Amino acid sequence: MHAFYDLLRIPLIEMGRNGVLPEFFQYAFVINALLCSLLLGPVLGGVGTMVVTKRLAFFSQAVGQAALTGVALGILLGEPISAPYVSLFGFCILFGLLMNYTRNRTNMSTDTVIGVFLSVSLAMGACILLYVTGKVNMHVLDNILFGSVLTVNDTDMNVLLIISGLCLLIGIPLYNRMLLASFNPSLARVRGVNATLYDYIFILMITVLTVASLKIVGAVLVEALFIIPAAAARNVSRSMKGFFLYSMIIATASCILGIILPMQFEIPVPSGGAIILVASCFFALSVLIRASSTAFRGASA
Amino acid sequence: MTVPTNAMGPAIHFERVGLQLGGNCILSNVDFSVEPGTIHCIIGPNGGGKSSLVRCLLGQMPHTGTIRIGWGTGNVIGYVPQSLDFDRTLPMTVKDFMAMICQNRPAFCGLGRKYGPIVEHALKMVGMEGKRQRPFGALSGGERQRVLLAQGLIPKPDLLVLDEPGTGLDKAGASIMRDLLADLKERGVTILMIHHDLAEVRDMADSVTCINRNLVFSGEPEVELTPEKILNVFSPAGGTC
Ligand SMILES: Nc1ncnc2c1ncn2[C@@H]1O[C@H](COP(=O)(O)OP(=O)(O)O)[C@@H](O)[C@H]1O
Ligand SMILES: [Mg+2]
Repeated sequence: MHAFYDLLRIPLIEMGRNGVLPEFFQYAFVINALLCSLLLGPVLGGVGTMVVTKRLAFFSQAVGQAALTGVALGILLGEPISAPYVSLFGFCILFGLLMNYTRNRTNMSTDTVIGVFLSVSLAMGACILLYVTGKVNMHVLDNILFGSVLTVNDTDMNVLLIISGLCLLIGIPLYNRMLLASFNPSLARVRGVNATLYDYIFILMITVLTVASLKIVGAVLVEALFIIPAAAARNVSRSMKGFFLYSMIIATASCILGIILPMQFEIPVPSGGAIILVASCFFALSVLIRASSTAFRGASA
Repeated sequence: MTVPTNAMGPAIHFERVGLQLGGNCILSNVDFSVEPGTIHCIIGPNGGGKSSLVRCLLGQMPHTGTIRIGWGTGNVIGYVPQSLDFDRTLPMTVKDFMAMICQNRPAFCGLGRKYGPIVEHALKMVGMEGKRQRPFGALSGGERQRVLLAQGLIPKPDLLVLDEPGTGLDKAGASIMRDLLADLKERGVTILMIHHDLAEVRDMADSVTCINRNLVFSGEPEVELTPEKILNVFSPAGGTC
């Protein structure tokens, strides 16, 4: 894999040095981060349309918070602090599945279940973090909470590549079924769609994507990248096609701009924060467009 | 009765069907049959257990007793649900909705070559062909009901199950639906429909069953739908378990 990444990296680094591309292109980590963005943006934007349609925004937030606990757990168990993937995947998947199981079995409203799980995970995270702060430099934790392009290495890129690939492979053929399951489970079942099973698959997708994008966007803000681009896209589209397409474009553009802009203007901010702020600008713009365009007036009374 | 094609829908036999949900008795001892290729209506008061009975038939409820479906020439079930749970402001056109339901190709890619004409035809059948680009969430109740009906026609059903499809339909909509169902019946489709408009039921049903936890009556509409029985139908107290 390393050789493949180098194949992409070396010419770009060369161009950075020659001044064909902006100066910061000569750093491998910048190119790593941009490559990740090109992968992450479309996938998060696309899956985000499902998150918004299925009204699971709050759910993905809870999974993001669980990632925080997962990191703490990883440090506790002695995993490398820059890549505690075993604990992260382990804890987040367990968390997501358990939350969905509880929701199915108790018939409680989703927000109540999520509220309970969110608090449990935060409480656990807080306790473990306090316990492990002695072992690590807190600054390293910042990177995981809010994202840092500096720390993206080949391992992270491999994880991201595999996860994105899997999500595309599973998400695209099952897109309709996963949506239908939330429209009317009864109708879905008549049409041979096991609504419960597809809900679990979807929860798994959100969870692994959250973990995979941790390095770039950070544990706290990951879920925003599911929601904000899709919410912005929804403001300015009339069909699924536009919704999906704009969401992908906005997510990708936010990732790339969020990484490049701070570097260009030498502002020392975490990449996650910058990415989400850029996405928020797109969202604000979409609200303006929606409010001022006659095409949408009264379209959604 | 003559059947122009050799296609034939299934017969359905409900045998001592009972259902308990959350400690409440929803249905008990429901016993009746649906003849193949007929329009069979289910009536009854709100909360009488009609939707639950239909979900038992679809194999989605932990019921007791047996429901036997004696399949005819095919075994495709079309289902028109009573309602949908979704965000009304979603950017989803009528066409997107149909694409989501009917095909595997993701709805955001548009209708495929195979399903495009089929969906087009189904929308035409329910008089919605001019509104395929409308936002699905902004449709009126009757319009949405029509789209739901169109959805039940793809793929061609042998058994069509409808849960209060008449709700919100105007005169034109109701007459489109009546013609459509009559046409399907001609082609041998068995139609089981929950309906609350007794005049409509009398008009189009071959047989009618009244459910209020227990079976109240079942038979031909001309015989069963007498004024005193109808008064009985909507009396609140259901039978015991
Ligand atoms: N999942 C459920 N759990 C508990 N009670 C239910 C459930 N679904 C329906 N019921 C109850 O069963 C009764 C019949 O409901 P339903 O079949 O929807 O009636 P209707 O004849 O109006 O379609 C109602 O009193 C309803 O409250
Ligand atoms: Mg009902």
